[in-house]
Amino acid sequence: MAKTLIRLQGVKKSFAEIEALSHVDLKINSGQIVGLVGGNGAGKTTLLRLIAGTYSPTAGEVTFGKEPLASMRHKLGVVPEATGLYHRLTAWENIRYHSRIHGVEDEVAWNRTVQLAKMLGMEDSLSRHTKGFSKGMRQKTSLIRALAHGPEALLLDEPTAGLDVTSARAVRDLVMKLRDEGGTVIYSTHQLAEARQVCDRIVIIHNGTIRADSSPSELLEITGCDSLEEAYVQLTSDKARARTEDDSKEGRLAKWWRRLLTSNTPEVSEDE
Amino acid sequence: MSDSLKRIRIIAGKEIVEFVRDWRSLLATILIPLIIFPALFIVLPLILQSEAAELESLELEVVVQGDVHDDLVSALENDRITIIIEDLPSDIENLSDPGIDENRLRNSEIDAILRMRNSGNNTWNYSIIQFSTSEHSSQARSRVLTHLWEWEDEVVNRSLLEKGLDPDTTLDPVKWDGDITSADTATSGEQAGMVLSLFIPMVLAIWTASSAMQPSIDMTAGERERGTLEALLCLPCSRIELLSGKWLAVAVIAGVSVSLQVVGLIFAITYLASSSSFIAIPAMSITSILLIATAVILFAIMVVAFELALAMRAQSVKEAGTLLAPSIILIIFPALFTQVINLDGIESWWFAIPLVNVLLALRELLLDRIIIEHVAIWALSSMFYSFIAAWFASRQFKREDLVASLS
Repeated sequence: MAKTLIRLQGVKKSFAEIEALSHVDLKINSGQIVGLVGGNGAGKTTLLRLIAGTYSPTAGEVTFGKEPLASMRHKLGVVPEATGLYHRLTAWENIRYHSRIHGVEDEVAWNRTVQLAKMLGMEDSLSRHTKGFSKGMRQKTSLIRALAHGPEALLLDEPTAGLDVTSARAVRDLVMKLRDEGGTVIYSTHQLAEARQVCDRIVIIHNGTIRADSSPSELLEITGCDSLEEAYVQLTSDKARARTEDDSKEGRLAKWWRRLLTSNTPEVSEDE
Repeated sequence: MSDSLKRIRIIAGKEIVEFVRDWRSLLATILIPLIIFPALFIVLPLILQSEAAELESLELEVVVQGDVHDDLVSALENDRITIIIEDLPSDIENLSDPGIDENRLRNSEIDAILRMRNSGNNTWNYSIIQFSTSEHSSQARSRVLTHLWEWEDEVVNRSLLEKGLDPDTTLDPVKWDGDITSADTATSGEQAGMVLSLFIPMVLAIWTASSAMQPSIDMTAGERERGTLEALLCLPCSRIELLSGKWLAVAVIAGVSVSLQVVGLIFAITYLASSSSFIAIPAMSITSILLIATAVILFAIMVVAFELALAMRAQSVKEAGTLLAPSIILIIFPALFTQVINLDGIESWWFAIPLVNVLLALRELLLDRIIIEHVAIWALSSMFYSFIAAWFASRQFKREDLVASLS
């Protein structure tokens, strides 16, 4: 039986008055690809950031194995939605920078980088500055960077968004290969088809709550639907909340001033 | 080396590498500070000298109207001035009224007009009509005035001699005895320190703050804007390590920039001291020099931490620039104010005011004055302010909203 690698217990995350995640209980087992599926503002990224340790939960706890997550961050590899590469550094320098912070020797990181780069078909680009990289190349570099220190779990935030078919396929193939080698992947995506293709388990998030957590076939069975799309629609039938976190960050004075200088836009009535 | 220090060094190293790979940043940080003082103290005076020589060699045209003495006309003609003699215009109220001659000056037909009227009894009234925004006209006025005053001296001397008086004892009965410069007990080195203390503290303070600004913005708001910060925050390094690494990088960049500026300044002063008696090399003890370095380092710790904190609050590079640019004004005003504070008998509490304390400390030290009480106050207060700035910066770096969006 697979052991639980990451565990969220009674996790809640709020930004000012806005509750981004409400009472989340989730177990991520090792050797699985777990898909986080949800619309914009559902809470996928917030959940990933809690697991990555970028956010601290407002309530509840996140553990890695039996340890608090904060002390186990070196066992994670993260590919955020924005690939986050330094364009005045080469691809290898970007990868080495993160590996060094992880405490990995350059030689070890290099060997692993070359191996991963060959799998992704970008071994000739490691010495190039990332400034001119395409979206696909950036994503691949970011993926290698997250894996070069040999993490136990990989967190991916929409890794194929905006990629061409070939690049997206290369990324998916690598992720499935990692799983086959015993790795654990948490894979956030908008695409149900992609989730079905890649993930062993699908966690549907809507309005900050987990609506379903099972394998694709179980999901169809539970909902009695013929397709994942139908199941998703059934589980997320209530109106999606507005995306408001960014708004909560703005200072009161700045918000007041912006609104003061904004002409009134009429509200859309129920009849329209 | 502990793991934490190693991570700080890695972060700082990467920031510096990225910074120096941008040639524009390098130009602003290395070249400009290095050449600014040599350019100001050596090249600018040379340009001014050359311009002055050019003006002195100009051939000018001056109209002389009224009762102008032949000796004065000859003197003007011998100074590369072409003289046109005319009668005084009839329609002017007084000699300063340009009348119909105004257009001739404004159209550069002539460069100046000297008007003189003999009012009898060996006295004259005069005026010089000019167009002051024209360099030719200003130069003409200047030359006419010089010769007019020389001629006036001759007239005065002649009158005194006619009345049997010695012009020398009559006009200058009280005279300085000996060499005026030897009467000052301050050495030329001390005098140089005094001159430099009037602007070096301000320049050091402004340059430290401004050279730290661009890298501070790039390493904080720039990272946010480019989306590199989130990946960095996912790494197993604490926010304090991240702040320390970035602080170290900005401090190194600002430190190099300020040091190069000081090198350029020393070169310029040494050159001026060796080529003219205008300024000497300031006389300072090793202790004063070390204390100046300490004051600048403490100031840099505070300024860099403060700028990093402010830039980290911003959502974008543009917003960070809007936040940080006015902070230079906050330095310029106290810096200007500090230049006029009298250091003799100054109350000690001045050395506890933020920013003012460092500026006053630099002024005192450039004069080679080491007053233990003042040193203790500015050193301790600067450490306290640096600590406050570092604490503020650490709070900004611990904010969760450094990464944006909810999806």
